[in-house]
Amino acid sequence: MKIAIVVQRYGLDINGGAELHARYVAEHLSRHVEVEVLATCARNYITWANELPEGVEELNGVRVRRFPVSRQRAVKQFARRSVRVLEQTHSLADELAWLDSEGPTSPALIRHISQNHDRYDYFIFFSFRYYHSYHGIRTAASQSLLVPTAEREGAVGLSLFGPVFRAARALMYNSFEERAMIQAVSGNAEVPHVVVGIGSEVPETTRPGRFRQHYGIESPFVVYVGRIDENKGCKELFAYFQRYASAVSGNLMLVLIGHSILPIPDHPRIRHLGFVSDQDKFDAIAASEALIMPSYFESLSMVALEAWAMGKPVLANGRCDVLRGQCIRSNGGLYYENYREFRETLRLIESSRPLARALGDNGRAYYLRHYDWPVVERKYMDMLHQLQRADRAGCTVPGVEPLPGWRERRRVDCRPANDVVRDLPSGASVRTERRS
Amino acid sequence: MPSEFTVRSGSVDVEQIMGRIRARVREKRGVDYTEDEIRELADVKIEAFLDPTRVRSDLLEHYLKHHKAAEPGAAPSRGGLTGKLVAGVRLLLSPLLKLVGKLSSIRHALRELRLNFVLIHNLVVEITRLAIEVRNLKMRVESLSSRLDFNERRARALENVVQYRPGAVPGAVPARATGAPAPESRREPDQTEGQAKGEAQRRRRRRRRGRGDAGGTGRLPSESGGQDGVESAPGAAQQAPTPAAVPDRDTPDQ
Repeated sequence: MKIAIVVQRYGLDINGGAELHARYVAEHLSRHVEVEVLATCARNYITWANELPEGVEELNGVRVRRFPVSRQRAVKQFARRSVRVLEQTHSLADELAWLDSEGPTSPALIRHISQNHDRYDYFIFFSFRYYHSYHGIRTAASQSLLVPTAEREGAVGLSLFGPVFRAARALMYNSFEERAMIQAVSGNAEVPHVVVGIGSEVPETTRPGRFRQHYGIESPFVVYVGRIDENKGCKELFAYFQRYASAVSGNLMLVLIGHSILPIPDHPRIRHLGFVSDQDKFDAIAASEALIMPSYFESLSMVALEAWAMGKPVLANGRCDVLRGQCIRSNGGLYYENYREFRETLRLIESSRPLARALGDNGRAYYLRHYDWPVVERKYMDMLHQLQRADRAGCTVPGVEPLPGWRERRRVDCRPANDVVRDLPSGASVRTERRS
Repeated sequence: MPSEFTVRSGSVDVEQIMGRIRARVREKRGVDYTEDEIRELADVKIEAFLDPTRVRSDLLEHYLKHHKAAEPGAAPSRGGLTGKLVAGVRLLLSPLLKLVGKLSSIRHALRELRLNFVLIHNLVVEITRLAIEVRNLKMRVESLSSRLDFNERRARALENVVQYRPGAVPGAVPARATGAPAPESRREPDQTEGQAKGEAQRRRRRRRRGRGDAGGTGRLPSESGGQDGVESAPGAAQQAPTPAAVPDRDTPDQ
């Protein structure tokens, strides 16, 4: 079996969530099947400038084929079109124009899929919202699996993605909440799917003492790992933690790891370490009391899974359905929806070591049960074999719905995408749902 | 099909813990308002009273400055043909200018009226706020003074109790009893009850004589309405000590 993994960016130094997810899956599936990665030459996710060489190279034993991006993103135009489709009643043509301006626009990649689809058994597309997934699935729907990596954000509510969600042969969801959201918005419950997520590359041993010594941190601390951005809930986290530090006696610190695009408060109990190596990151998590995930929108928090893999509890933003659901299902973390809950939960984790340990143990058990690499690989392989059996049995594939005509596409009758998302059912999916 | 997720694992139930945390938060807050509701209530409270950031301390100065600027100044005179021409035009337009001037003064008066209204409104709000504050402070002062009064009376009563309790602290010597015979509690074991009684009677007689020598009032202790040198405290009756602690008037330190 030969599969192609199609993703917007690919490289060892590219650490975006979906891109890293794609690389891990490619590397692990390459142990079972022949894998080729199809990606663009872009490295920067804002400009999509062609920075990586076009052509074929091999990374960690996986062949990567890169295609140029035809034009960089016009940021102002994209912002204007985003306002149009997310906040105003608009047409399908507006949405298609929005997709083009979002990028990475790579007709060469789509042409390759169109001309060479017979060379691959299946394509696994990562991130539903980009040009390559939309046009790629429309080009080779009968061979397409989609890993949506969808968060609860406006793009999910765009009407152009509904046919794509329904046309894919299978969907590999990151969480039950993501599945519930996409099924509600597109009505694709009949499409084969599995909630699979992703494993973590946690080292065998960590050295928390070395981390403390190296960075001169003696006090107990909670750690945040990721981009320090308002969209990730960091501004709220700073406000809450400063209030907590002034209200609750103790010496608990907040350690931040990652690039910051937000001013870090000058506070004696907040420490920003910037971008650190993977080893330092894991050592920091091992040395911490808990990991904090303040993000409102996550399709799957890889760093939360890493913390659980290392037996550490997680304190998550309860307004993110996915994180809340993960905490409840795993019994491995607490969550907050306002400052008072933040204070109580953090104080509980800080003061009750047995509870923190029990949460961490539960998290680790949950990780091993559902997100350990053998489990994840098996889920992917089971799905691929299931599709292969169906193909061999001659099952008919419905295919993708055709685009409406020129006039129809320009009819201004699509609801603002944000309104669509707002009306979707929300909340953590805590019921165990079994799909045969 | 791959394994499914189990909702419960281990002995820790996160939902239960969160339920307890929320209950605790509700208890502390009293009423189960959301953060947004609390913020809204806080905003309403601020709006109902005076917003200090919007009060302009230089309002009068600002107004006077504008008032001066608005006053029409004398038009500069020009000489020659142009000056005459301008004067002629002005003469022709003088009724219109007068009308405009009147309109302007009406507009000015209206503006002044509006300003006065704003000032009065602000003053009324401020006075109301101050009145409430004064009332609250008055109540607080009353409360504090009654508490102070009560504490004073209590302190006096307690002082008396301590003063008239020899032997309350074992081994302690009363402050004014230096050189006096040992109190009853420290009597020698072989001392009989009769001897102690006789000694007490002698002491009583000596004291009566001493009072007489010192120019006493001649009143009996029971008529004094209180202990010597101590005002009668109504609170003392309420703080009545137990029989064992009742002051013994026959002790030598009186």
